Amino acid sequence: MGMISVAFGRLSQAFLLLIAMSLIGFIGIHSVGNPVFNVVNIETATPEDIRLATIALGLDQPLWRQYLVFIGNVVSGNFGTSYIYHRPAFELVMSKLPATLELASIAMLIAAPLGIGFGLLAGRRSGTLFDRTLLKASVSALSIPSFWLAMMLILVGAILTGWFPSGGRGATLHVLGAEWSFLTGNGLWHLVLPALALAIPNIALIARLSRSGTIEVESQDFTRFCRAKGLSSRRILLRHTLPNISVPIVTIIGLQFGGMLAFAVVVESIFSWPGIGKLLIDSIQLLDRPVVMATLTFIAVAFVALNAIVDLFYAVLDPRVRLSS
Amino acid sequence: MTASKVLLASYILVAIAAPLIAPQNPYDPLQIFGWEASSPPGTMGSGGYLYLLGTDGLGRDIVSTILYGLRISLVVAIVSSAIAALIGLTAGVSAAYFGKWVDATIMRLVDLQLSLPTILIALIAIVTLGPGIDRIILALVIVQWATYARIARGVALSEVKKPYMDAARLMRLPTSRVIFRHLLPNSIAPAITLIPIEVGHAVALEATLSFLGLGVPIDKPSLGSAVANGFQYLMTGQYWISLFPGLALFGLIACINLVGEDVRRNLDPRSQTR
Amino acid sequence: MKLGEFVRRRLLSALLVSLLVPATSWEVHAQEQGELRIATSYKLMTLDPQYANLNENTSLLSHIYERLVYQDESLDLKPGLSVSWRAVSETKWEFKLRDGVRFHDGSVFDADDVVYSIERIRDFLKPPSGGYRSYVSAIKSVSSPDPLTVVIETDGPVPNLPLTFSSIFMMNKPFGGFETTEALNSGNSGSPPVGTGPYRFESWRSGESLSLTRNDAYWGGKPAWLKVAFRVIENPAARVAALSTGEVDVADAIPARDVDGLKQRGARIASVGAARINFVQFDVDRETLPGVTGKSGEPIANPFMSPLVRRALALATDRGILVEKILAGYGTSASQVFPTGLPGTSAKLLPEAPDYEQAKALLAKAGYPDGFNLVLAGPAGRYPGDAESLQAIAQSWARIGINAQPSAAPFSVFNTKRAAGDYAIWYGGTSGEAVDIILRALLASPNKERGTGALNFGKYRNAAFDAKLAKAESIPVGPERNEALASATELVMADQPIIPLYHFHHVVGYGPRIGAYVMHPRGWTTAMQTLAATE
Repeated sequence: MGMISVAFGRLSQAFLLLIAMSLIGFIGIHSVGNPVFNVVNIETATPEDIRLATIALGLDQPLWRQYLVFIGNVVSGNFGTSYIYHRPAFELVMSKLPATLELASIAMLIAAPLGIGFGLLAGRRSGTLFDRTLLKASVSALSIPSFWLAMMLILVGAILTGWFPSGGRGATLHVLGAEWSFLTGNGLWHLVLPALALAIPNIALIARLSRSGTIEVESQDFTRFCRAKGLSSRRILLRHTLPNISVPIVTIIGLQFGGMLAFAVVVESIFSWPGIGKLLIDSIQLLDRPVVMATLTFIAVAFVALNAIVDLFYAVLDPRVRLSS
Repeated sequence: MTASKVLLASYILVAIAAPLIAPQNPYDPLQIFGWEASSPPGTMGSGGYLYLLGTDGLGRDIVSTILYGLRISLVVAIVSSAIAALIGLTAGVSAAYFGKWVDATIMRLVDLQLSLPTILIALIAIVTLGPGIDRIILALVIVQWATYARIARGVALSEVKKPYMDAARLMRLPTSRVIFRHLLPNSIAPAITLIPIEVGHAVALEATLSFLGLGVPIDKPSLGSAVANGFQYLMTGQYWISLFPGLALFGLIACINLVGEDVRRNLDPRSQTR
Repeated sequence: MKLGEFVRRRLLSALLVSLLVPATSWEVHAQEQGELRIATSYKLMTLDPQYANLNENTSLLSHIYERLVYQDESLDLKPGLSVSWRAVSETKWEFKLRDGVRFHDGSVFDADDVVYSIERIRDFLKPPSGGYRSYVSAIKSVSSPDPLTVVIETDGPVPNLPLTFSSIFMMNKPFGGFETTEALNSGNSGSPPVGTGPYRFESWRSGESLSLTRNDAYWGGKPAWLKVAFRVIENPAARVAALSTGEVDVADAIPARDVDGLKQRGARIASVGAARINFVQFDVDRETLPGVTGKSGEPIANPFMSPLVRRALALATDRGILVEKILAGYGTSASQVFPTGLPGTSAKLLPEAPDYEQAKALLAKAGYPDGFNLVLAGPAGRYPGDAESLQAIAQSWARIGINAQPSAAPFSVFNTKRAAGDYAIWYGGTSGEAVDIILRALLASPNKERGTGALNFGKYRNAAFDAKLAKAESIPVGPERNEALASATELVMADQPIIPLYHFHHVVGYGPRIGAYVMHPRGWTTAMQTLAATE
């Protein structure tokens, strides 16, 4: 029973969130400027062209009516047509999604093992030079603004050494109805730097979390018991400590994956990675309102859904947690 | 005094003293020489001073740009954090004190906000508000207040149940007095420990927004927009335009975060044992 | 569990395979096939050649579709799908079509297709599609007396009508009705775009890529490349990187500051002064202006109404910094609307070096000995050097006491605000097929009936110039018309209605597989402009 009411609460909150966000986003873009100037060629268009295009886009209507029309369309699954690309906005977002998904996945594949590994080691040797270095390094890694990290990766990895391409997606392979870069050598090559840019702060975050978890678990009685039983410390670490700290780590991985979808905005812009983050920034610059709204909605839904899944996971993995609270 | 504290203090000192120590005022067009744009570090300028770290694409001295940019970055971050803390604390404490619909409304807002990534909220806010230093401060307040509100409410909830609150109520003290003189001061400590970390976030967030071209005006660069100005020159080998402001920015955020960790460790009794 | 394991194994093997395949094999493979790879800044947004008149679309679509008339590198008209044209009377034109031209689907190109293409723009396409409509608005009727002749009647005299057809793409008339933009945009799954051009459409992803194959039956001879692959890379730095690593053979819109680096890495560079102008425009209409105040912040009357003030600001503008520093040499200081030497420009108008003393004297004479404050607005990221120019101009003007605060905004925001009257003085840019088109839009008095002054946002009015321009426009295309246009330009520029800043250069970089690249002042990037290296 608690489960259902919690789920209902979650859903209604998510719904409220989407309404609020769509309203603010809608008003926001409207107040910024008139997208019609990006639709017609201002250098050759006559005032009459501009007027007609404004009417055709429905931008001559009062804002509240535009919003109602928009909401009505969204309910029937239609976010409208991109002003710039003349394609259904949601379809456009979906076509950019594989690029972002594979970037975030590869980044997490780098971040999770490295972060957990560093964290376990530091936790085991808490107080040692390695531990203190890791702590300081993690604060630094979390301090680097992601855009600067990305730029420095380009400077070092692409411009100075020429090892990796500085941007773009490279070759892709068509599998399961989408284009994937990680299936080609050239594509993987292009993935390295942007994935690192997303991964580095997460390595730090996961390492810190695993470290404190390890310290806590290893100070508990059952670890001492294991040690007394004569189990090797390696076995204790992998068989006992790791499973015990897995719950918060899984949580943070889930949450950070959602965060990556959002932070991809910065990293994708810098690396010209054609994902949804770059689409969002480009569309904001071009005032392509249907695409902005579709992208925002998608990121918000994905983020909220991920949170919910993580919570559910939490409840399943850790019987001490009850959702009712 | 740890190294990070010393460094942070010198950052702040340098920012305050910027007009006195900067070789050039990068906001004064008469002091900038367009023909000396993109000079590498160590070039002698016709203004009679050495371009220690070179000039940017418009002829602004990088050292001066960093010093003045530091001011903008710090002012934006500190002012926005302070306002956000004030609003957040008041909202959180009020929610705890009044309960019922006040609590429900405020906390619903907080939940809404915390359920989205901060960068996204900041993006929506700044797009809606438009460019300008005042706008970016406002956008950062909008991003940050919810964190304070949630913490403050948690603490205040336990305070409300304490006997002295009953006493205050029995004495029929005015509500505002109860909140501002009693509840707030007693709930403030945990929120205070948040401030340094949040200032660090604010610096990074402002820099990111400015980098995306949504932040401060072009002729008054913050550290973030100074880095952004140099991005396009990165490929050409004119690395100094973005490298040095970036290093300054990174150092600043790292200092704030390290000091923030210290503060939290010292003020938070639970973490003191560890 | 089982399924998970299966997926995992598959993924792993896929990963391994991709790791084992050398990173360069993809490129080697492509090169063997005679494929030309171009990184372009022009994001192809639609496959409908008549949807929007933007270089973003037309540059790439000109591989598939063709026009009746071509404009060569010095902007002179050359036969395209039409071999000759003549004015039968003042309001009647006759175009003779090229014989033996076939569309990619094998059907014959004839006069009906021309009629269809014009009617599609005039009668079928609805806003927001636009931009071409103004080209055909003067056309009263189109007819095809025989398959290789098109007769066009206009409402009034249109001496430069053939120029119009250097923009309009010719489409294949379907069996019934008009082709919709949606059908064209759906690419292969709908009705693939069919033209007469040297390359056939193969596939596209809007805003990302376009693949073309050779049209072996092309009327102009077999095209040079078996395949052409366009990749849209909007970030200039990424375009430069793609060229320098050899991922592409040609990259367009190279930022001037990257040219030296590219040359060092072995790439070659081609550039040409663009047939366009970037300028500062004044509001000379309103009594008071937003952001324009006296030195102590008090409101003042519109100072730009005085030609002395406009002249002073022009004299205090250091174009050298803009061209040499901001555009790194890939720009030409401007004194008129097109680079000097193109048809219709004046040889007498030359860019001036700044003269701050004289400028100060002029300001004093106009009644502003101490200068005044203004906000100089402009778009950011629209034209090469736009936002930087605002700041550099502000630096120059500070030397004569003008306190200019630069204010840059994204292009659409800039336009919204300018349309709302928020700006007093601003940086702008425009391009056109010919000098008269720019003069007409930018400097002629705003007049709805005559369709002049569409870009004259400052509402500058000069009756003498209007008369002189109208007279020049009535002269048939040729030297006499060009001289009249040059003389009209001299007249109007003496009054300084705008401050011409620069003509930026189109810069293209190309790799070892390209022998030469012929630049076009209109700024197109096409496979037809490349000459394969002979080895």
